[in-house]
Amino acid sequence: MDIGLDIFLQVLVWGLYAGCIYILLATGLNLIFGVMKVVNFAHGQLLMIGAYVTFSFFVLTGFNPYVLLAASIPILILIGVSIERLCFRPILGTGKLNEIFISIGLIYILENVAAMIWTDEWKVIQSPFESITVAVGDMKIPVDYLIIIVTTVIILVALYIFLKKSRLGLAVRATSQNRKAAMLVGINVERMDMLSFGIGAGLAGAAGTLWVVSGQVFNPYMGSVPAVKAFAIVIIGGLGSIPGAIIGGLLLGIAENFTVLTIGGAWKDAVAFLILIIVLIIKPTGLFGEEAE
Amino acid sequence: MIENQRLVLYLTLAVLACAVLIPLVTGLNVYYLTVLIIMVIFIIYASAWNFLTYSGQGSLGHAAFFGIGGYISTLIAVKSGLTPYLTIFIGGAAAAAVGLFIGIICVRMKEWFLAMVTFGFAVIIQVLVASQFSTVTGGWDGIAAPPLISNTVPNYLVYEYYSILLIAVIVILLFRVILNSKIGLAFSAIRENELEARAAGIDPVRFKLLAFMVSAYFAGLAGALEIHYLGYITPEIFGVDISFWPIIYSISGGLGTLAGPIIGTIVITLLWDGLQSLGLTYGRFIIIGIILVLVVIFLPRGLVSLPEEIRKRVPKWKVRFNKLLSK
Repeated sequence: MDIGLDIFLQVLVWGLYAGCIYILLATGLNLIFGVMKVVNFAHGQLLMIGAYVTFSFFVLTGFNPYVLLAASIPILILIGVSIERLCFRPILGTGKLNEIFISIGLIYILENVAAMIWTDEWKVIQSPFESITVAVGDMKIPVDYLIIIVTTVIILVALYIFLKKSRLGLAVRATSQNRKAAMLVGINVERMDMLSFGIGAGLAGAAGTLWVVSGQVFNPYMGSVPAVKAFAIVIIGGLGSIPGAIIGGLLLGIAENFTVLTIGGAWKDAVAFLILIIVLIIKPTGLFGEEAE
Repeated sequence: MIENQRLVLYLTLAVLACAVLIPLVTGLNVYYLTVLIIMVIFIIYASAWNFLTYSGQGSLGHAAFFGIGGYISTLIAVKSGLTPYLTIFIGGAAAAAVGLFIGIICVRMKEWFLAMVTFGFAVIIQVLVASQFSTVTGGWDGIAAPPLISNTVPNYLVYEYYSILLIAVIVILLFRVILNSKIGLAFSAIRENELEARAAGIDPVRFKLLAFMVSAYFAGLAGALEIHYLGYITPEIFGVDISFWPIIYSISGGLGTLAGPIIGTIVITLLWDGLQSLGLTYGRFIIIGIILVLVVIFLPRGLVSLPEEIRKRVPKWKVRFNKLLSK
């Protein structure tokens, strides 16, 4: 197939924007893994809840959906903190597969609570900027894509400043590096667990809002696909490495959109796993991953 | 200990007697038969999944094997005209071959990595079946599968049920024999400490691959039975739900025990159908999810360990009760 430069650039921008949602999910997963050493397989369901929260507020208030980030993030932080407290804390330190089993339970609970509240039909809302595009050279980029990319960058920079500059962020990083030592210097590690899980869930909520704003359809069962992709990114980029998550997310977003262009749409969801499997065959601990315990 | 073994034997025989007698007692009621058939098929499937955990491995994508067993068996039965009672074993063998391939890739991986890769394979195989091989598999529309026993035979469901029950009993006995042999011992050694197992002269790779193949074989067999019973197959069979059910059954029953998946399947299936008859469409998923979370937190060894847990706690309750009385 002959791919012109403009199509190449177009796909690149699509990939960047798709990558943003994966990056937010994968960063949250990584933060939780870094601090608690557990993997929340129900992370995509948090994105789905974030999407529905945005949808509900949009229908009720009619605000610009981007403003609703201010609603979806705090609500998801609350949900995340309760999930950590009720489900994950009791199993900390028990068998490693238990968190996967708990997550499966959570997936069923979250999906079907959402289906009870919002029914299981596909929903979609329209962004107020839907028809506005920005011309860059020959191609037209929807302004929504640009706002989404900028929003993601702002969220990530805020997270970076929080982790690197604030005392609380220092405590989070200390817990993530060495839990016992952090305990010894007087950090309340259980509070750090709640905090990191809350932030992780909040990032998933932000991803949910961006998912809705970009005009993608959603229903209660849509969460697992973006989540497993985010998880694949986390493994490719290395468990616990946030820069790895960002690079991995961008790569996957771009790879996916090129796959659609070259092989066909059916392979869009499978390509993440193909990359994942190839990476793991070459290096069973992930590209930038440390030796697994 | 011997007392216990005898108890287990009696219980097993009692369950088996129930399984044989219920269709007769209920007057060959079609609804009960369909519930029982699905239950027995899923007992095979959950036991096969559970078998994998004996060797310290796990899988979030067993639907891949379940579905491959179904597809291969259906395709061969349609093309050759053989009875499904033969083709199901070919379907199982195909699943085992794919299991060997996936196992070779997964054998060095642990926990989350293994979980993700197995999950990923189910997605990839679904895409392959639905798009690349759609000329053979009928794509998303699926294809019709020949029934185990033609529905012109009177009471064909009864024959199907007893034949499936027989297969299930044989499969579980086989698992028991394997796990009580030296192979089972090697599995436990690898599960507890791979390094020490290797030091003792056990080749972990060989045994892990064996566990993967056996598990995939019987998952494929169960899938083939299910498909020939249902009469059609679509790529939906590779869905997340089909991968998660055996996990839910095995965990709620008790991971790493032969009885666990059987008890878990029976209890959860009955609960599921009970909730369905109450008209809870989404509620039943929520209840199953809550049960799963509660079991993992409060009863990590599953329902099988419930009598033991109660026995452990009764003295404490008695003390508390007496305290209350004396006040």
